[in-house]
Order: sequence, then C-alpha cells, then structure tokens
Amino acid sequence: MATSAAPAHLAPKSAVGYDEHSGIWSWIATVDHKRIGLLYLFTALGFFLVGGLEAVIIRAQLQGPNGTIVSAEMYNQLFTMHGTTMIFLAVMPLSAAFFNFLIPLQIGARDVAFPRLNAFSYWVYLFGGLFITLPIFFKVAPNGGWFGYTPLTTPSFSPQVNIDFWVVGLQILGVSSLAAAFNFITTIINLRAPGMTLMRMPMFTWMSFVVQFMLVLAFPVITIALVFLLFDRFFGTQFYEIAAGADPLLWQHLFWIFGHPEVYILILPAFGLVSEIIPANSRKPLFGYPVMVYSGILIALLGFGVWAHHMFAVGMGPIADSVFALATMLIGIPTGVKIFNWIGTMAQGQVRFTTAMLFAIGLVALFTIGGISGVMHSSPPADLQQTDTYFIVAHFHYVLFGGSIMGIFGGIYHYFPKMTGRLMNERLGKIHFWINFIGMNLTFFPMHFSGMLGMPRRIYTYDAGQGWDTFNLISSIGAYMLVVSTAIFAYNFLRSRRNGEIAGSNPWNAGTLEWTIPSPVPEYNFAELPKVTSRYPLWEGNETDAESARINSQEGKTPADLGIVLPYSTIKPMIVAFSMVVMFTGLLISKAVLFIGAAVMVVALYSWLLAPLEPEHH
Amino acid sequence: MSAPAAHHYTTTGLDSRKIAIWAFIGSECMLFVSLISTYLIYKGRSVVGPYPHEEWVSPTGEHFKAILNIPVTSASTFVLLMSSLFMVLALAAVQNKDVPKRTTGERILGSSKLWLFATAVAGTTFLGFQAFEFTSFVHEGLSIRTNLFGSSFFTLTGFHGAHVTAGVIWLLTLLAIDYRRGLGPNDALIVDIAALYWHFVDVVWIAIFTLVYLIK
Amino acid sequence: MKGKARLRQLAPLGIAIALLTLAACADSYPNTTFDPHSELGRAIDSIWDRLLILGTIVFVLVEAALLYVVFRYRRRPNDTSTPPQTHGNAVLEIIWTIIPAVILLFIAVPTVRTIFKTQAKAVAGALEIQVIGHQWWWEFRYPEYNIVTANEIYIPTGRTVNFKMTSQDVIHSFWIPQLAGKRDVIANRTNYIWFTPDTTLGPSVWNGFCTEYCGASHAKMRFRVFTVKPDQFASWVAGQQRPAAFGAQQGAPPPMLMPFPGARNDRAAPAPPSNPAVTAPVGAATASLASAGPGYTFPQNQPEFDYAKPHTPVPAGLKFTPGLTGNAARGQQVYSSAACIGCHTITGNPMSMGATAPNLTHIGSRATLGAGTFPNTPAYLALWIKNARAMKPGVLMPTLGKGEYDPQLKQKVTTGGLDDQQIADIVAYLTSLK
Repeated sequence: MATSAAPAHLAPKSAVGYDEHSGIWSWIATVDHKRIGLLYLFTALGFFLVGGLEAVIIRAQLQGPNGTIVSAEMYNQLFTMHGTTMIFLAVMPLSAAFFNFLIPLQIGARDVAFPRLNAFSYWVYLFGGLFITLPIFFKVAPNGGWFGYTPLTTPSFSPQVNIDFWVVGLQILGVSSLAAAFNFITTIINLRAPGMTLMRMPMFTWMSFVVQFMLVLAFPVITIALVFLLFDRFFGTQFYEIAAGADPLLWQHLFWIFGHPEVYILILPAFGLVSEIIPANSRKPLFGYPVMVYSGILIALLGFGVWAHHMFAVGMGPIADSVFALATMLIGIPTGVKIFNWIGTMAQGQVRFTTAMLFAIGLVALFTIGGISGVMHSSPPADLQQTDTYFIVAHFHYVLFGGSIMGIFGGIYHYFPKMTGRLMNERLGKIHFWINFIGMNLTFFPMHFSGMLGMPRRIYTYDAGQGWDTFNLISSIGAYMLVVSTAIFAYNFLRSRRNGEIAGSNPWNAGTLEWTIPSPVPEYNFAELPKVTSRYPLWEGNETDAESARINSQEGKTPADLGIVLPYSTIKPMIVAFSMVVMFTGLLISKAVLFIGAAVMVVALYSWLLAPLEPEHH
Repeated sequence: MSAPAAHHYTTTGLDSRKIAIWAFIGSECMLFVSLISTYLIYKGRSVVGPYPHEEWVSPTGEHFKAILNIPVTSASTFVLLMSSLFMVLALAAVQNKDVPKRTTGERILGSSKLWLFATAVAGTTFLGFQAFEFTSFVHEGLSIRTNLFGSSFFTLTGFHGAHVTAGVIWLLTLLAIDYRRGLGPNDALIVDIAALYWHFVDVVWIAIFTLVYLIK
Repeated sequence: MKGKARLRQLAPLGIAIALLTLAACADSYPNTTFDPHSELGRAIDSIWDRLLILGTIVFVLVEAALLYVVFRYRRRPNDTSTPPQTHGNAVLEIIWTIIPAVILLFIAVPTVRTIFKTQAKAVAGALEIQVIGHQWWWEFRYPEYNIVTANEIYIPTGRTVNFKMTSQDVIHSFWIPQLAGKRDVIANRTNYIWFTPDTTLGPSVWNGFCTEYCGASHAKMRFRVFTVKPDQFASWVAGQQRPAAFGAQQGAPPPMLMPFPGARNDRAAPAPPSNPAVTAPVGAATASLASAGPGYTFPQNQPEFDYAKPHTPVPAGLKFTPGLTGNAARGQQVYSSAACIGCHTITGNPMSMGATAPNLTHIGSRATLGAGTFPNTPAYLALWIKNARAMKPGVLMPTLGKGEYDPQLKQKVTTGGLDDQQIADIVAYLTSLK
C-alpha cells in the first residue's frame, strides 16, 4: 500500500541502503508512526480473526448440551486464548493502531516523540503475540483463563508448559504497552503544534492521553504479579504456594488492580473514536467537550479504586464489599454523562448515516446495555448470583464488543481514507454493520438469560434439561452470523485498499486537524507545523487555521522540497525486540538461548541508542 | 537514546526525553509499590523460619537470631546516599564544563569523570553489600525458596539491586562517552536523565530500608 | 417497494427468532435465580427486581432518546445548511449528571443494608456444614452429626444452614442458584454463607455448581442439595451415621479424625476447634443409631426432578460385559485389596481409610457419581470403576479396567488391572452400602 505520494526515486536513501518506500524492507525498517500504525492494524486484525475463530469453536461446542466438538482440555485452552487474544492481541493493539496513526496527525506533529521506540513497541507486540498464540496449534496453549488465578496456575496444579507461555508472553506484551505509553504521553505533552492547547485537543487524543496514564500505572502491577508467578514456576519461590501459607487472594488483588483499569484501557479509545465520528457525521461540535474530558479523567481515576468488585464472592467482609460497591456505582455517573453528551451532539445536527456513524450509534446503543448490566453487578448481593455466570459474559461483551469493537470498526471505516487515500465500500459496510449488529445481539443478549438461569462460565459442557439449551443455540447462531459479517468486512477492507473510491483529504467534511492534510498522508504529515486557534480548525477556525490548512493540504511535495528532516529507517528496534523475545523463550528452553538472546539484545540496544535518529540538520 | 535534534519544536520547550523519564519513574513507582506491599502483606505469614525480626529454631534444633542485619545495611544505605551526592556533583561538573577552573578544588569539583566514577563505585559497593547480605542469608538457611519471607524479601531487594546494576552500567556508559569525546553542557540532559533515575533508585531504597529493615 | 422486498427476505429470520424465543419460553428453568427458596435468595432477588426495573427504565429512555434524535435530526437530501453549532448546555449537563446519581442512590442504600444483613454471623443453633473443595468434587461434613459425605447435601427445611468453606487445592466457588448466591471456596481461608430453606418447601432437590474455574473438569464439579422435612432429615442422619451396611463391625463409628483444613492465616474468622467432631454436640439423631435398616434417602426417578438426573453420555468405546452378576462379599475382598483403599474411606471397613477421595461409606444411597456427572446406577458405576478418566477429564481416580486406555498416562492398563467380573463384584459391594 502506498502511504506516501512521493515518487520513489526522489526519496532519500537510508544509511543501510535499501529502498525506504516500497517492498517488505520498507515496512520492517520503518519508524514512521503511520506505517507502524498500519502494521498494528493489520497484525491486530489478524489476531482478531484468530480470537474470533476460537470463539466460534467455543460456541459450536456449546451449541447444544453435552457437546463433543472439542475436549475439556482443548476447550480450556480455547477460552483462555480467546480472552487473552482479544484483550492483549486484538483490542489493545487495534487501539494502538489508532494511537499511532492518529495522535500525531490530530495534534499537528511530524511523528511521535520517539519513533524508534515506537517501532520497538510494535515488534515486541508482534513477536510476543506469536509467542503466546502459536502454542495452541500444538495443543499446549495456556489453559488457566485470561485472569490466570492462582493457585490453579502455580506449578503445583499446572505443572505443564501451558501456563509458562502465558506468564512469559504477557510479560513480553507488557514491555510493548509500557514503551508505547511512555512514548505517547511524551508525544501528547510535548509535540502539540503551536496553539494546540490541551483543551483544544481532539477527543480521541484526549481519551488516548488518559489511557496512556492508566497503562503506565496499571501495567507495573501486573508485571509484578506475573514476576511472582514466573519465579514460582521457574525458580521455586513460594508467592502463590498454598502449602507455604500463601494467600490465594494476593494474585487476585494485584491482577484486578491492573485488570479493572485495563477495562477502561480497552474502552476509552473507542469512546474517543466515537467522539470524532459523531461530530463529523452530525456536522456539529462535540457537545459538552470539557465535561467529556473530565468524565474521561474521572473514569480513569475511579477505575483504580474499584478492582475488588471482581471479588465480591471471595468473602472480603461487609465493609470492603460496601466500599467497592459504592465506588463502582460512582463510575456509572461519568459514563452516563458520556452517553448523554453523544446524544446531545447528534441532537439538532444533521445526522448522516455513514457506516462509521452506524457503528458509532451502535456503540452508544449497545454500550448503554453493558453499562446498565454493569450497574446490576455493582451491587454485591445481586452480584453473588451473577458473578461467574453467563450474565457476566453477556455484560462484558456488550462493553467490549458492543463498545470497543463497534467503536474500532467505526474508526476503521472513518479513517480508512486517511490511511489509504481510498474509501471503503459503504454498501458492503452497511451490510457488515447490520449483520454484525444483529449477530452481536443474538449472540450475547440470550447470555443474560442463560446466566441468570444458572449457567456458570468457563464450562466446556453442560447437561441437558437445565433450561439453557435454547439460549445457547441462539447464541451460537448469532456467533455464526458474526463470522459472516466479519468475512464481509475482511473482503471490503482488502478490496477497498486497491479499488476503493479515491477519498480526497476530507471525505466526511470533518472539522479536526487530521482532515486538513492529504490522504494518504505524506510521510512528513504537515508541510508546516500548523497554527491552531480552535477545536475544529476546519469548521470554526479563523484565517490562521485556514492558512495552515491551505499550506498543509498541498499534495506531491517531498521532504526534500520542504527541507524537512525525517528519521532514518532502521531495523535495530526490531532486532532488540526479537532478541528480547528469544531471551524470554530461553526461560522455557535453555539458559544458553537465554544468554544468547540477552547478549544480542544488549549489543543491538547499544547500537540503537548510539546511532543518530536522523541526519544532521543543515 | 540519541537526541532528536535540538531544532525540533516542542510544546513545553523541554526535551522529550525529560518528560519520558518522569513517566517512566511514575511507572516504576507502581512497580516498587506492588513489591513492597506484597512483602508487607506476607510479613508474618511464613509457616517456617527464618524470620526477619524474630529469633527462630531450625528443624534440627539450632537457634538463630533474627536474620536482618541492620548495622551492615545501614552502612550500605549510607554508601548509596553518598552516591546520590556524587551524582549531583557529576551533573554540576558536566553543566559547568565550560566554566574556567582555577584552583585544584575547582578542578576536582569540575571533574565529571571523577564524580561519575565515584557514583558508579558507590553503586557497586552497595551491590557488594547486597551480595554479602544475600550470601550470608543463604548460609543461615534463608533462600528465595525457603518461605514467603524469603521469596518476597529476595525478590524485592533483588529487583532494587537489578535497578542499581542497570544504573551502574548506565553511569559507566556515560563515563566511557566522557572519555571518548568529553561530556559538556550540551550533554547535560543525558546526564540529568541518568541522575533522575539514580536518585529515584536511591529514594526507593530509603523506602525499602525503612519499611523492610527498620519497622518490625 | 425495495424496502418491502428486503423485509420479506428478513421474514424467515424473524420467524426463526420468534420460534426460538417461544421454545425458550416453553423450557423449564430448574436453576433459575428468579425463584428463590430461602430468605437469602429473596433478599438478593428483591435487589435484583429493583435493578431490573430501574435498568429497564433507563434502557428504554436512553435508547428511545437515541432513536428519536437519530431519526429526527437525520440529514435530509439536498440540505446544505449548517446546523446550529452548540457546544454544550450547562443546565442540561448538570441535570443528566444528577439523574444517574439519584438512581444510583436508590440502588446503593438497599445494597449496603443487604450486605450487612446477609453477611452477619449466622444465628446460634444453625446447622454447620463444612464444605471442602477438591478438584473436582465436593466434600461435605456435618460435624454436629459426625457425617462425611460427598457431592450431596441433605438439609432440613426451616433450619438455618451455615456453610463453612475452604479448599484443599485451587479456588472453587459454591453455588446453589435457587437457594443462595455464590461464595468462593479458597485454600488458607475460611468463608461462610448461610441461609434458611423455606419451611413451606416440600422435599426437593436442587442443582449446585462450582462457579470458579478450577481446571480440566470444572464443568463437571456439580453437586445436589436435597431439602427435606426435619423428620426425614433425622432419618437420613441416622442412616448416614451407621457404619457401612455390608459386613460392618457393630458399634458406633469412630469420630472424624480430620480437622477442618486451612484457616491457619484466616484473620477474619475465629480459629476453629481442633477437632470439631469431638467437641460438637451429638444431635438427637444419634439416638436412632440402633435402629436397623438404611435411613431416609430422597426417592430417585421422580419426573419433576428429572433436571437433577445427569444425562452425560458415556464415551464411545467404553463397554462393559453384559449379563455379569456381582457378588458383594467377593467385591468387598477385591475392593479391600485393590488401589481403592488408598484414597477412599468406608467407615466399617478397617482397610479403607484413604482420605483424598470421596467417602464411600454410604455410596449406595447417593444419586450421582463423579460429582453429579452420571446417575449412580450399577451400570454407570461399573464403567466409572473401569475407566473414570475416560468419563471425566483429568480426575485423580485411576483407570482400573484391565486393558483400558488411560488418557492421562497415555497407555493401556496392563498389570494390576481389574477384569469385568472383579468390577461387577465391587459394584455389588458398593451399591449395597446404603
């Protein structure tokens, strides 16, 4: 795909001597945030298909009572990997794809603060993702659930290699997320164009900004929880060994101190995308912008104080139960405000039913359901009936599928033209939306019933005559519909890259900064750093904005024409990432592999850090 | 990390690396908070000795004192605190490289090589103390596998030791650069960032020393 | 026209959904949480009702507002005007911040009240049942009556039952949907949940489930709860207190020797007595010890309780020689000299003192096998003994049938395996233990 309009022969050759603009090397060695964003997008969509396939096998197994499509052992691997894949390998990196692609464009920057670190994050994600995904093809995938509760995951109860892949794999993925978070925090604080004050930032960038702080504060906690488990498994420590007196709840506390913020890490970027799509397709500024910002921040802050609502059944005592219940209920307020403000944005506007807008409206409609069921188990007595049943499965799929995935699909349709210069097919897009919307509800709404009618989660089979058969059948039919809708999306996505209608710089007549520059975006993004005077430069801007937009909308200029210095392409971040994963793999194989990986990593790291980022400026 | 050229526009006027290191330190705080909390939660839960502050009898009937050696650790804490002072001097020396030095005292104070080296030596001495402490604990029957105290103690202090080790390597790298091309005021930022990290690691140790060693 | 054609295409889908919905309505729901039969269940259900009503109102209002706005303000063709560029409305935003807060207040108050009510200490005189989770079965002890059983509980209606829980291994969770919420069963911790089955209940059986993922056979860690009338309960207790009915020595059974495990680091709960069986008062039921014959058991094969009867299919290829007749006396000898005694206890059989597997003293009186996975009939029992690992993934119970394939060891049983006749004898012995 051509992200750059510049003809190849005009491009500067890099020091390493390969062509920077086409061919596979141009992707492997890229440090361009847009290309890295696209790499994230392709990879994450690939993992999304893998996670989806796992889900479909699960639904096939549960289609009727006493299913025998997969064994208990395989089922446990499938549901563990479905959760792990969708959270860490699909939704988070899909969000990262948009962080990468959009944040610099929305704040008027030429790239992220640390372009090579950005490449490093991607490669760690790719190799870590493969590390944790490949074992399922050899029937040794992790089987302790995405939550990995101890003591089940300790060597005493899971001596096989399965959990090793999970512990080490998540540790690797954590490095990727943290490196990216430092990068984006710095980018947003420090690379905003002149006049792009914090309260003029597009809402997607705002929500992403909040998410980066959550990542920075939440990931170290799971890192430590995983270090303990890793040490228990590899070095014989006792952190989670019940025979040594360990408290099985230590893991749960550490995991959910990370795990609950993680939920908002998954949903806030989608909220951000929807907050771009709805104004653009209503031809109206976002309603209550400051409140949207503050509610996002409040959700994040409260998100760190509610982790134990995942543990109402563990017997924490009435005081802790009450405190965490009340804190959880409080989160309903800023979340509700967001929903109302989206509706307020559309009110009195001109709502245009693009595919992206359908997905955004879908998010508002479905997330509302997930939010309401969320309040239902914020009440511990009620939760004692709901927790660990299919009611919870229904709830978080309304949040994560109805919320995150709908938002991300909307984002893909909305920003596809900016990424590729072409529009996705709207007709196929709408078919995709409707099958997806109906299939989603068909899959997950009946789970509210199967759960309240007593069906536990994570069971590989259930008996006949329990009153669950019909609901499960409906759920499975819905899942098959989702397969169809996803296939339509995949076809549309692949086909539109080459054959889609040419988009132009602002196909949606949107108002934010990223729509002032050509599509696809030139590699330098902005010919001249824009001067920003309003939240919607294309709608509300004065002459300064208009002048910036005029300069930046010119196509066909090369960096050389404009005297813009761009970073060198380099494969060093990839080598560091690869050798790091080799080093971790050594834990499972042999010390020799570990040391070789570590040695290569250190050498490559020094080589990276001591090499200049970009040519000297003249 | 090598510099994005100074001509790049930044919103705050600060170098991006300075912002990134603060974000990194924020993250590291959560890392050590998790480690220290676990240690404190598990204090007193071990089902077998040795214990940090109580005497104990081994299964073979031997009597042991409480295992933590506070005088020795106080000494190593002092060394680490001094290293922070050296680090401050090293940064000042780099920042003032271009200021002419007249007296011997000014030349000594202005030697970035000396103070970087001194910081690294102090850090290494601290690590030496830690190696001594770990070895003697193992001789007294406490390993990382022995009990919950052993697991959480060695992991916490080991993590801190690993941070000190990384810091020493960082300092030695700066020292090597200083020898190769000399560090001047233009490099103050990269020394400043290393210094921020070093001081952070030092502060964490003060927390560990207080919560693990001093409070019974 | 086009719209109508499309509607017609969607019609079969609509009909299918309608039919499935009807089918769902026709099902019965034996594990429903909407029809509680204890005061705890009703306390939870009343909060649920409130949540459902408020949730439905919010749902309808929000979705209606969304639909209204979306259609009312849809872009009309050829409209090129710019809509009013409002940025917000402070009054409106304050209102829709306060409304959810007020709604949440209506939930928060009864929530906190119910938390403190239901988590108070159980009343004195409550029937204590110790619940010990194992991968993947439940051990139940009645310290008051010195009874140990597995995967089945009898409780009298009208008397508060206090479940005291811990785990021997991983975390499990104890759930009887129609009687109470869940409580996790955690090693090194002691948890409680208590409720009183309604006095008005007739003899009934309820399904119980493990709801915390606990490994390979988490799906097959079920149990049964029989709520019976107090006199039936007393009779059942008397029957269970007798030693094994077959070939047993006379006299009272020895007290349970195993103390309640865990609780070492349990700060919330008071330390349990080291041997509750000895210190607990012996109930009135002990008096009927001398009476002959098995005690009350819940009658099987009642159509209205069909949901409590497992329908798990037997794995293909697992067969048992038809027409074999077992001899219980021979079976006792085979049992007592085979691997069985290493893990199972049969009070009254001095050889059988193992403590890691379900207590079999009255296995003949139980309704199910393998933690609610199969009906407890001689045919299933024979297959279970022959190859439990093929019938329930991951179980500790070894594959015993000669020539059978052990899916965990991935090899056939050769030496020491039991032939079908020996298994039939053991089955005869075990089924006689009413």
